[in-house]
Amino acid sequence: MGDFWFEFVEITQTIGDGLLFGATYALIGIGFTLIFGAMGKLNMTYAAASLAGAYVGLAAFTLVNASALVVFLVSALASGLVGFIVYVACFRFIPIDNHLAALMASIGALFFIDEIIVHATDGSPLTFPAMFDDVMLELGSYGIRGDLLFVFAVCIAGTFGLLYVLYRSRLGLATRAVSQQDVAARLCGIDVHRTNAVTFVLAGLLGGIAGSMTAAAVGVLSPLITVPLTIKGLIVTVIGGLGSIPGAIAAGLLVGGLENVFLYFRGVNERDMYVLLLLFVFLIFRPHGIFGSAIDRD
Amino acid sequence: MSYYLGLVQLIGIHTLLGLSAYVLMLTGQLSLGQAGFFAIGAYSAGILTVIFELPILPALLAAAAIASFFAFLVGFPALRVKGLMLVVATIAFSEFVRLFFFNLSWRVPRGDIEVGPDSTNGFREIRFFVANGWSAWEITAFVWIFVILVMAALWWTDRSRAGAVLRAVGEDELAAQSVGINLTAVKVTAMTAGGFIAGIGGALYAHTATYVDHLTFTVLLATFAIAYPILGGLSSVFGTLVAVIFIQGVLVEGLRFLGDWRNIVFGLLIIAAMNLKPSGLFDARTAQVLKRAVGLGGKD
Repeated sequence: MGDFWFEFVEITQTIGDGLLFGATYALIGIGFTLIFGAMGKLNMTYAAASLAGAYVGLAAFTLVNASALVVFLVSALASGLVGFIVYVACFRFIPIDNHLAALMASIGALFFIDEIIVHATDGSPLTFPAMFDDVMLELGSYGIRGDLLFVFAVCIAGTFGLLYVLYRSRLGLATRAVSQQDVAARLCGIDVHRTNAVTFVLAGLLGGIAGSMTAAAVGVLSPLITVPLTIKGLIVTVIGGLGSIPGAIAAGLLVGGLENVFLYFRGVNERDMYVLLLLFVFLIFRPHGIFGSAIDRD
Repeated sequence: MSYYLGLVQLIGIHTLLGLSAYVLMLTGQLSLGQAGFFAIGAYSAGILTVIFELPILPALLAAAAIASFFAFLVGFPALRVKGLMLVVATIAFSEFVRLFFFNLSWRVPRGDIEVGPDSTNGFREIRFFVANGWSAWEITAFVWIFVILVMAALWWTDRSRAGAVLRAVGEDELAAQSVGINLTAVKVTAMTAGGFIAGIGGALYAHTATYVDHLTFTVLLATFAIAYPILGGLSSVFGTLVAVIFIQGVLVEGLRFLGDWRNIVFGLLIIAAMNLKPSGLFDARTAQVLKRAVGLGGKD
């Protein structure tokens, strides 16, 4: 009985930690989904741009010993700027109906950013300052890691900030109009290019938060995180349903929680394999994701 | 000399990789999973010649068959989704394969050493060509026999009814369906054929390189696979060949003096190419101009 109880606590604890960390996946997923919703295109650079933002934040921390808040702000702003550059370089001048070229260009930008990071850091991982990592909330047999709770709280705040902008501001109204019907939006006098650029910047700001939160929770920043984070973000986007923000949130938490279950039972080397299998389970049984509509958007 | 032969072999192998993506793109499907099928071909062929001590030809064909079987399996769930979702599904498949080989350890004693895939340390003992005394010329000829066979098969397919069906699906699925074409059958067939071709490429790669590990088969390789047909255009198989020669022969070799900075330039070149020529560097019009320039094309 004692052993069983101990294991039960262990597993639920690990799921809880995963759910908290899953908030970062949710943010990355929201970023992908936001851009897909606006333009119907995949921005493969997104996760790399988010981590690039985190690197700039880290630089601010190392160079001028900036405080935690400043580090996250700088990360978000830098990532927003990268988002804008990526929009101009990979989406702005490529014909709107050419999904392939935009996809390829953004993959090119992904490698470009990745290589710049590798060059700037000699490819070695850097320590990222953790917040509240010495705090531990005790709840009966459970403990909640302070740093994970902080990551979760910031990600939730970021999501609400985004939802506020999307649903309560003129900017958000324009963004949603373009994503629903870009011809109609144009007829109403909305500048589609400007709105898309704003969407990229918004997604970038969110990504910078996600990137620095990922780094803060893991404790290190490394160019090795880029591609796995890209793929997990894409998986979250698909599982949640392309273009669905609530879906991305639910899927992010789901992937975060299950990832830790896989980690607990199968170890770190096999963990990601099961996350990838999860995507195929969804593709077979629920190809449009948790909240996706049954209508093909593509 | 052997250096240039190595380059010629690499160009042949990458042509196979590019053609495996080309077949899929004819039906309008973009797959970032070709590196996965390539990896399955490489590891299967290596295991067959090293652990089961088969000769190269049966090992290569078996490896291609295994790769095409997995392509067939991936085809069904992946084809329930279209376009960009397929990109995500195939990239996930490719990563899954990479992680599988990252974890795969299958060591068997051979004499006084152990051989076989050794998870993170890679698979180091694929020495069939060396052990059987093949010269670099013979290996190169062997690689290019397959390249020519595959190109000839695809060229011929393109001129038959089957090619018209593939392109019809690629041009307009709805129209293709309305004239009685079974979309699923066509797409899964293209996927399977692509897997087979990538499998041959992988098998040849493993044996010419004598060493593979999971880091060989990353998203970068999958990007190369689709970059060739995108740059070369879909008007003929030769576009892919030209693109491979251009990228592997001219760009990669030509930019060698840049050292580490080469990869940065590579990313920038993709972005520039897509902005300037979104429908491929060697699209139908450029091909026409080139043909006229060398006196082949004549009239439109």
